[in-house]
Amino acid sequence: MDHPTPLPQFLHDGDFLSVLKAHGYEVAPRLADAAAKFQHEAGKGGIATEGTTVLAIKYKDGVLVAGDRRATAGNLVMYERAEKLINIDSHSVLAIAGVPAVAFEMARVLEHSFKYYLRSQLQEMSTAGKVRSLSKLLKENLPLTLQGVGMVVPIFATYEVANGKDGGGKVYFYDALGAQFEGVDYSASGSGSLSVRSVLHYLNNWGGKPLAKYTESEIIVAALRLLDTAADSDTATSGYNPKSNIFPLVRTITKDGIHEISEIDLAKAYRSEV
Amino acid sequence: MIEEPYRWVEAIANRREYIEDQLRRGSPIVLLNYADGLLLLTVSRETRKIFEVYDRVAFSALGHPADIERMRLVAIDLAHIEGFNRAVNDVSLRRLVNFGMSPALKGAFEQVYSAPYIVKILLAELGDDPEHDSIVKLDYDGSFARSDVEMKEPFDVLAGTAEAEKQMLDYLLEHGGNPRRSLDDALRLAAKTWAVGMETAERQDKVEGEETPPEKIDAEKAFKEHLKTRHVEAAVLERSRPATGKFRLLEEKEIRAALKDL
Repeated sequence: MDHPTPLPQFLHDGDFLSVLKAHGYEVAPRLADAAAKFQHEAGKGGIATEGTTVLAIKYKDGVLVAGDRRATAGNLVMYERAEKLINIDSHSVLAIAGVPAVAFEMARVLEHSFKYYLRSQLQEMSTAGKVRSLSKLLKENLPLTLQGVGMVVPIFATYEVANGKDGGGKVYFYDALGAQFEGVDYSASGSGSLSVRSVLHYLNNWGGKPLAKYTESEIIVAALRLLDTAADSDTATSGYNPKSNIFPLVRTITKDGIHEISEIDLAKAYRSEV
Repeated sequence: MIEEPYRWVEAIANRREYIEDQLRRGSPIVLLNYADGLLLLTVSRETRKIFEVYDRVAFSALGHPADIERMRLVAIDLAHIEGFNRAVNDVSLRRLVNFGMSPALKGAFEQVYSAPYIVKILLAELGDDPEHDSIVKLDYDGSFARSDVEMKEPFDVLAGTAEAEKQMLDYLLEHGGNPRRSLDDALRLAAKTWAVGMETAERQDKVEGEETPPEKIDAEKAFKEHLKTRHVEAAVLERSRPATGKFRLLEEKEIRAALKDL
């Protein structure tokens, strides 16, 4: 044969974005819409919201993910109950820093992409595949990021149980251009992340024992203290707000799935440890 | 020739006969309520027959594997687009069937120059409480029936022949009993009902035309006989499941434990 036969294509590859596209939904313009709204609001005098400090740390049983609740626009506090942790599937949480309008749209796309893949292909998408999906979305958002609007810098935390194997907790972080990195022990993102990262580095190396050996209650206390540290120097981050009784969001991901740490438990930890 | 109305009716009738003949020997499917939701059970040779469509919707079918697969993907695509564009709670079985799957099947069935779908589908949706569960049976020509929702006990069956379905329903009505039955009890009852259906269909095949007085079917014995060459496949929509997706394929050991003293 002169020409190699063309590669056969998957008749159905489980890609939800192409299904959406066939039904008239394009990701990039939708993200652009969200970002344009952000820019418009910002132009009117600073009432566009941005998210702030989120972190993910590997510990003994899996991964802890935490985020403060404050959304800011310039020097204004817009909202004190923002939810920056979004459950994507039974074992994955997306922690977002950046423009919530864009980040929520990405989370929505991801959540359905993973569900769709699992149900249509009858197997769980691999962790690497999931990580790549988010990277692709960030790349779709590239033009906006370069314009300086609609930037999203997420952390993807997951516990690898796909297709029967126990791969343990994983933390991935991204830059705004879509490059992905695996965080060895921890990761933090947002305006308050600088101080958080410094403290995490200190704790991990000289804190008595590495973070990976922390128990659940120890890691929760550490996360609350870290958010408090971030809030101390970063006005865009809130720690615990005693006046209106608002707590950060804290979740753990273990082999059995995602667990939300209740406000009662957080209150207890605050009272005794922070 | 098919432009003439009479020929068209004839062509459709031939089609019906052809499809029904293809479906005759299909392995029946039983849908049964139990204390914590809905159970779907069938016994298959190799290919999987029970699937998850969306958070609260399950799909099962008998027919040609490629057609089952196509209809399954139609349902999954529609459900996910709807769930994405609106909200998870806007995905309803009624809308999936009325405006998506049924028109697709009817369209294919009436295109007499192209191949029809050789498939019969049983769909279940788990409501917030048992009163809001729903079951839909969808035929190869697109006709559908919301079945037994008004009854206190939602259950239904799907089989290759009308007679097999009737025998199965009779068996269920006779042995139905407690709607708060445990999953194990539901598995046992569903397995026996399946055997009644399969046995009826096979006997119909054998006697073809002859009028012999029907012998009573020993469901347990028939079930054991069939299990030599097949395996049980079962899935549940579990109300108490903490995740948003309520569908769970039962593990083999779970099924085996429930059916061991059958």
